[in-house]
Order: sequence, then structure tokens, then C-alpha cells
Amino acid sequence: MTKTILAVDDSGSLRQMLAFSLKAAGYGVIEAVDGQDGLNKAKQQTVDLVLTDQNMPGMDGLSLIRALRAMKNYQSVPILMLTTESGDDIKAMGRAAGANGWLVKPFDPARLNEVVKKLIG
Amino acid sequence: MLSHEPRPDELMNTQVMRLLSGVSVHGDQHLAEVERDLVQMDALLSEAIKKLCTSFMAIHQAIDLQQETLKGMLSTEKTAPEQAARLEALREEIGQHVGAAVTGLQFQDMTSQLIGRMVQHLAGLRDVFGALGTKGSADLPESGSEEMLAMLNHISDRVGARCTELAGTVRSTVNQRHMESGDIELF
Repeated sequence: MTKTILAVDDSGSLRQMLAFSLKAAGYGVIEAVDGQDGLNKAKQQTVDLVLTDQNMPGMDGLSLIRALRAMKNYQSVPILMLTTESGDDIKAMGRAAGANGWLVKPFDPARLNEVVKKLIG
Repeated sequence: MLSHEPRPDELMNTQVMRLLSGVSVHGDQHLAEVERDLVQMDALLSEAIKKLCTSFMAIHQAIDLQQETLKGMLSTEKTAPEQAARLEALREEIGQHVGAAVTGLQFQDMTSQLIGRMVQHLAGLRDVFGALGTKGSADLPESGSEEMLAMLNHISDRVGARCTELAGTVRSTVNQRHMESGDIELF
């Protein structure tokens, strides 16, 4: 069965590159334009992995992770942060919020798919 | 009727106010130009990335179809092993280029964040220049250096407050200096 990934990013081109890379590796992709959109889509369908940006208008990535972790069906779903930020402080905040990993942009599709495969097969 | 000759302190006050107004008005005008150019550049980059992504997807799809067709042709005929190996090597080479292109095509996500931050800084600086300006002759102290000093202190406080507000609101979120792929850390 195809594993589904929720890709949350306010940049259209970034979402396009994410969807392209993940679909090429055989995953299904649901796109969301910001944290709130991501949360709404996560409620409609439980996905196998969430990839989220941090800085987005409205709800940011950290807030999305906290909201997802508060939901019963998202307590063990892997969540990866994919962001331009790489500071230790914000990484620690991500970890505390419940992120399973931190990827700094720009991503390399092969390395991204390796990580995703490691987490959800 | 005797004409009133301005005293040196009145002249000084007028000159200081004229200088502040001039810096405020001209500074604001130039910053507005820079802001307009940055917004235009952001729009152009946004349009360019859309076109690039569309073309990239179309090229990739065409190459995929071409590879499939070649594979089909080679499977129906007696193919020399070196031809099959060459096709496989080309497929891998294309894959590497596609991966590099996907990394490169993420530039706009970073440039738009940087431009957005520059625009916020410019808006803040325009606010600072606005705080430097005066409302006109009504603000001008009639005489005396004490009144002038009080007024300059007031302007200085307004400028300081705007600068503090600006420093607090515009956080740097992009520190990348090249387009190499970033670090990955699993917790």
C-alpha cells in the first residue's frame, strides 16, 4: 500500500520539488500551504509522515507539530522539520515539540528519500 | 516699518529643522525606490521559478518517456550488452542531474525570505526617517537653545524607539551562503 506524506510549505516551488522527489520514490503526497492548512488536511486523513517548514504565515511549523502531537492518531507518526533555519535553539524547540528530525534546506532528493525510507519504509 | 533680523539662535534652529526634514523626506524617497525594486525583483523571481519548475517537470517527463521507449526498442531487438550498459549509465547520469536541479530549484524559497526581510527592514527604516521629520513650522521652537535641545531629544527618543522596534521584529531565518544541500539530523 502506498505510504502518504503530508508536505507543508508556503513556498509553491518548494512544495513542487518535494512532491516530485517523494512521488518519484513511490510515495503519495498531500500538499498544504501553511500550518493551518496542514492541520486541516491531517485531520481529514491520517498520513504516514509529515514534512513541515517552520516559517509560514499564520501557523508555523512548531505550532503545527504541537497541534499534531496533541491528536491521538498523530502521537507516533514521524514528523520532520524541513526549514532554512539551523540554529541549535530552534532545533531544541523542534525536538521538544515532538519533531523526529531536522532537515536544513535546500534538500537533496536522494538524501531526503533515504531518511523517509528509514522512518516509514 | 523695521524688518526683523533673525537672531543667530533662530537661524540655527531653522537650519537644524531644515536638515532633519531634508534627511527625512529624501531618505524616505530613496528607501521607497529600493523597496519598490525589491518587490518587483521578488515578483520576477517568483514568475521565473514557476516557469523553470514547469519546464523542468515537462523535460523530466519527456526524458522518462524517451528512456522507456529506448528500453522497449532494445528489448525487442538483439542488443549488444554495451548498448544496454550505456543506456543504464545514461539513466544514472540523468538521475544525478535531476537531483542537482531539484536542489538548485529551491533557491526561490530562500531568496523570497531574504527579500521579505529586506523589505521589512526598509519599511522600518522609512519609519525611522519619518520619526526624524518634523510636522513643519509649528514644531519649530521660536527661540532659545533649551527648547531646541528638548525638541532634538524628543526626536532622538522617537528614532531610538523605532530602531528598537525594528530590531525586535525582523529575525534572520536564512543563513545559507551557498546552494549545497543542508544537514540532516534525526532525533
